[in-house]
Amino acid sequence: MIATEKRITIDPITRIEGHLRIDIEVDQGKVNKAWASSTMFRGIERILLGRDPREAWLFTQRFCGVCTTVHALASVRAVEDALNLPIPINAQYIRNLILIAHALHDHIVHFYHLSALDWVDVTQVLKADPAKASSIAESLSDWPNNSAKEMAAVKMKVKGLVDSGQLGPFAHGYWGHPAMKLPPEVNLIAVAHYLQALEYQRYANQVVAMLGGKTPHIQNVAVGGVANAINLESEAALNLDRLYSMKALLDKVVSFVQNVYVPDVCAVAGFYPDWFSYGSGVTNYLSVPDLPLDEASTKYDLPGGFIPNGDLSKFHPITGQKDPYWRKAVTEDSEHAWYKSGGPLHPWKGETDPEFTDWKEDGKYSWVKAPRFEGQAAQVGPLANVLAGYASGNPLMVKWTDAALSKISAIAKVKATPAMLHSTLGRHGARAVRTAVLSELAVKHWQLLTDNIVKGDSAIFNQPEFPKGEIEGVGFHEAPRGTLSHWVVIDNGAIKNYQAVVPTTWNASPRDSKGTSGPYEAALLGNPIADAAHPLEVLRTVHSFDPCMACAVHTFDPQGNNVAKVKVL
Amino acid sequence: MKTAIYGIGNILMGDDGIGPAVVDYLTSNAMLDGDVTVEDLGTPSLDLPNYMTGYDRVIFIDAVAAADPPGTIRLYSREEIAATPPGIRISPHEPTINDALIVLDFAGGAPRDVVLVGVVPQTVDGGMMLSPVVAGAVPRVAAMVMDEVAKRYAA
Repeated sequence: MIATEKRITIDPITRIEGHLRIDIEVDQGKVNKAWASSTMFRGIERILLGRDPREAWLFTQRFCGVCTTVHALASVRAVEDALNLPIPINAQYIRNLILIAHALHDHIVHFYHLSALDWVDVTQVLKADPAKASSIAESLSDWPNNSAKEMAAVKMKVKGLVDSGQLGPFAHGYWGHPAMKLPPEVNLIAVAHYLQALEYQRYANQVVAMLGGKTPHIQNVAVGGVANAINLESEAALNLDRLYSMKALLDKVVSFVQNVYVPDVCAVAGFYPDWFSYGSGVTNYLSVPDLPLDEASTKYDLPGGFIPNGDLSKFHPITGQKDPYWRKAVTEDSEHAWYKSGGPLHPWKGETDPEFTDWKEDGKYSWVKAPRFEGQAAQVGPLANVLAGYASGNPLMVKWTDAALSKISAIAKVKATPAMLHSTLGRHGARAVRTAVLSELAVKHWQLLTDNIVKGDSAIFNQPEFPKGEIEGVGFHEAPRGTLSHWVVIDNGAIKNYQAVVPTTWNASPRDSKGTSGPYEAALLGNPIADAAHPLEVLRTVHSFDPCMACAVHTFDPQGNNVAKVKVL
Repeated sequence: MKTAIYGIGNILMGDDGIGPAVVDYLTSNAMLDGDVTVEDLGTPSLDLPNYMTGYDRVIFIDAVAAADPPGTIRLYSREEIAATPPGIRISPHEPTINDALIVLDFAGGAPRDVVLVGVVPQTVDGGMMLSPVVAGAVPRVAAMVMDEVAKRYAA
């Protein structure tokens, strides 16, 4: 090793579920090797063996405390797929609204409350001119809460925090880091919108609660449909009053997304244009179609499919859960993961038998398996979904992508193109685009549900019946963090095998038996590191994927001594 | 006074499920007024502030890392929560109650009164059973929660 080489380990980047560890070797101020691993065995799929498939969703929604609804819906879809059971159209719309409201909430929280601090320097707010901040914000959108008075009040709030000697929720940021580039006024706008985002994401969560019965663990799902009684004459059922209170909440969120979140992401991107050239990594992209529009789930509002090597002209659509192309392509490889079987296994044949060794850079080093699509590593998440939409010419995806790129071009004074989306900032931009698309679809699916109920259709449930013998099913969902699939094998009405292939598994994948790195690992290569003890740049790239695990940074010198350990939240 | 009782923890992870288990016990056995919310929040992470906003007092039940033997019950005041985040860092639910309080203290809307009834776990490995010593503590934890609820009449 030469003297400029350092190894950095990131161990407990976000703090949601499980633990993520990232080891990085830095040479000449750049990342030249990276390993992503999970440090915690959960094996919770094994809890499901032998159980009634109709109850599986009650357990799977406990997989993750934040994506509860996501795992509930993938589970019932898997069992319905195994039974070839269509569900009433009201049930599709109600589930779609839950999925959309959850995603709106989750994407807003990801930007403002999990990752904005990678780009925003809160201490710079004290140097900001509130009137100037207000005029910048008003030049970006018509949002009414951007007045000079509002900006001045937020500046005072931050001053109070700094004067108290504690930075409260911002205590974990890298203040004054050389990689921070926003003007003071833009930092002030970001903090003002951080506070407003706390309020608006809550409205989206209230929609989930209204339809789901409660949150975080929804009660209204069933294999065969939903349990929301629909009766326009009853105060206890889903009626017009409830539908319109939901609409009022959705309208607020829609306005926030289109007038605050999207412009903010474009502004941040416009001030960090160099981050369109870092962090591409694995450019095979996987997403699945979602928001079914018919009872048998054959038509969808959001497209999905596979894009090899970032080449949009080679986009291969996935038509639905029954598409043989999709059903055959997914495998998981445990060559570098702490499980007994090594070679790639289809999820229906998947095994979860632990075999722990120490962390070995050339051997097994993670509790996460390596999922592969037709044998290749694939990146999942909003970027994969937006690229699928762009490649397939989905009108809403194209409209919002082009709008975001033109806004970024105006701020950065460089021409932003779709090719620049293969990057750390591209993932943030794509998440904002997807949220804007979903904000329009929220209104559409609310209208579809309302019209159908007013028409007199109150059907919500088809009774499932389990055949003798063995059946297999897969339920997929394009979740906030990307493609989620639950794979179930049912034998005489009881669960014989169950595997969840979750978005973070695709992105945090370790190397496979061919030695191919996963998306996090590949995306970190070549990232600049200004200060090895404060690897802000690493956080930017890892956070851009929205990992669902906690992570910390250890920096090592060439002799393997720990130079610094940074907990990353 | 608007009060919430929240169980925190993952029922799939052994004794980490103590919070939800106490909520189940209270739901089946306790007489609670209509203005008291009782909920198993699982591991809500960054969403925790959403469930605290609008309440005057919140009583949490959670597994805590402490040197005491498994099954030991301890009450933590708001000041103690703020001073030493007692959540288990190896369990799958970080942002702690402390993090949620910090956010709400800055943004506004934090409950005035917050207590945590913590229980020391024996194991937080995968599995849906509480270990016997922790399961045995459930009625005592529930009684402690009810004592806290009763204090609002004295307040």
